[in-house]
Amino acid sequence: MWSSVQRWRGVALIAAISAVALWLAASGQLVLYIHPRYIVFTVIMAAIALVLVVAAVASAASRRRRDEEAPVSRRERALGLSAAAIAGAFVIGMLVIPPATLSTATAEQRQINATAADLDALDDAAEADDAAVARFTVREWSSILRQTSDLGFFADKPVTDLVGFVAPDPDDPENVFYISRFVITCCAVDAQPLGVPVHQPGWQDEFPVDSWVSVTGEFAANPSESSLQPLVVMPDAIEAVEQPSEPYLF
Amino acid sequence: MTVRLETPVRREDHRASRRWGARHLIAAGLGVLGIVALIALRATTAESGPAGLPDVAQDLLTLSTSVIIESLPFIVLGIALSILVQVWIPEAWLLRILPRNQWGRRAVISLFGMFLPVCECGNVPLARGLVRRGFTIPESMVFLVAAPILNPVTILTTHAAFGFDDGILVARLLGGFLIANVLGWLFSLHPEPQSLLTGRFAEECRIDDGHRHGTRAEQTVDLFVRESSILMPALVIGALVAGGIQVAVPRDVLVALGSDPLFSVLAMMALAFVISVCSNVDAFFILPFASTFLPGSIVAFLVFGPIIDIKMLALMRTTYSTRTLLRVTLVVGLLSAVLGLVVNYVV
Repeated sequence: MWSSVQRWRGVALIAAISAVALWLAASGQLVLYIHPRYIVFTVIMAAIALVLVVAAVASAASRRRRDEEAPVSRRERALGLSAAAIAGAFVIGMLVIPPATLSTATAEQRQINATAADLDALDDAAEADDAAVARFTVREWSSILRQTSDLGFFADKPVTDLVGFVAPDPDDPENVFYISRFVITCCAVDAQPLGVPVHQPGWQDEFPVDSWVSVTGEFAANPSESSLQPLVVMPDAIEAVEQPSEPYLF
Repeated sequence: MTVRLETPVRREDHRASRRWGARHLIAAGLGVLGIVALIALRATTAESGPAGLPDVAQDLLTLSTSVIIESLPFIVLGIALSILVQVWIPEAWLLRILPRNQWGRRAVISLFGMFLPVCECGNVPLARGLVRRGFTIPESMVFLVAAPILNPVTILTTHAAFGFDDGILVARLLGGFLIANVLGWLFSLHPEPQSLLTGRFAEECRIDDGHRHGTRAEQTVDLFVRESSILMPALVIGALVAGGIQVAVPRDVLVALGSDPLFSVLAMMALAFVISVCSNVDAFFILPFASTFLPGSIVAFLVFGPIIDIKMLALMRTTYSTRTLLRVTLVVGLLSAVLGLVVNYVV
């Protein structure tokens, strides 16, 4: 059993992972894990891997026993088997558990707005016309908020249909929530949570944490006493929406 | 006489290859069926599979999966290039271009990445291939350390992210080159280079020496099976640990250290170790931190990260012994820290 586990564990893992990658690509969900610029490369290499897997299975039919395998100590064997078992269990998880986006657990752990996404956002916004401002995402707004808290700057810049998921403001979870998105440079591992604070007392009753909403409103001084955010969106309307097919911003 | 000797052999060959045909088609068909079954399983569980995991467990799965999916194409490319180097390229080609002089050899090897733009996880199978092809073990380390930094994709993305600001790009390239060559030189002083390898890989190299069996196609498939059997479990476990640490260690602990000349360097190296992101894109990842961290710490991140991180250690453990990896980590860590401090204080 040892020798066949040793020989086939890699082929089985690479087959399962490549199959999952191809299915994710076909169903448009590869963007849940990696930046769109890698999709073509990933699909091509996964296809090559599967061709090699089929070739490996085919060649097994004529495999003569070879005495090349180095003798392995009992400890190494146990280690190898448990590594294969852990890897196998995880890949079965990849196969059967529905794909999902990162949740607020990670957003809180990584601290919303810990980093600036877009250093030129303020200058760009100063020159943007109304149509461009209406298209601003969480990425632009959160970057602008990092660079200025001058309310005058936001006077003619309303928030229009801003989409994101709901995450509580840790300093005033009753009254303020962040409308948040993850920004990805390479893959979900490096996702940075960004968010725009929204003042809406009792928001929990209508919109559960992690659910997706669309907010329209205007910036104003934050009425909350405990929240650290100087400015918040005072919403005119908050609507529950479906999670977008590309939940991350790139 | 010669004819008589050849005929039976040929006939046997012919029979063998005919038998080969039918059985192998069936096996290949089963292989295809297996893959279709995997995709079908994934498609049916997409809606109805076990859902409702706790957030943290679900995020661990998502993070680890993303490391695996992101590394998969590079690993496959690395295995493919390794097969190319070992089976399809005549040995003379590779060795002919190298200077005789030890330092010259290592300097040229550290530039191999310019022609093999694979991210660091793909370099592991390639380095294994080079060792099997007669490169010394210190030389394989030079390649492993330099190639992810001195490669066209990394240079382009680093330039796109930082331009020539603060000497970050120049420090990264020069630093990578110097660290690789110093590391190669240090290990070339080792009296018994074979003992730097894991027992299993050393044994494989010894058995491989000289003779190869089977046609090139058979060798190709055989190498694919062997390399994936060693690298894939390491990749999955490395990804799992990397994901686990991401879930467990709050990011702000690291970011809080950002503006101190010494601690910012160490914090960035710790971040690079934990995050295990590919060298091709790490510049974009670190760009948002550039406003809070000193340039030297960014350089330390960009030099240390491609070489040493959780995922890479798991992959390199397939080839080098634990003691070797500890020493490599120590040397690369010290040199990266010095480089970062020099940039912080001098530039």
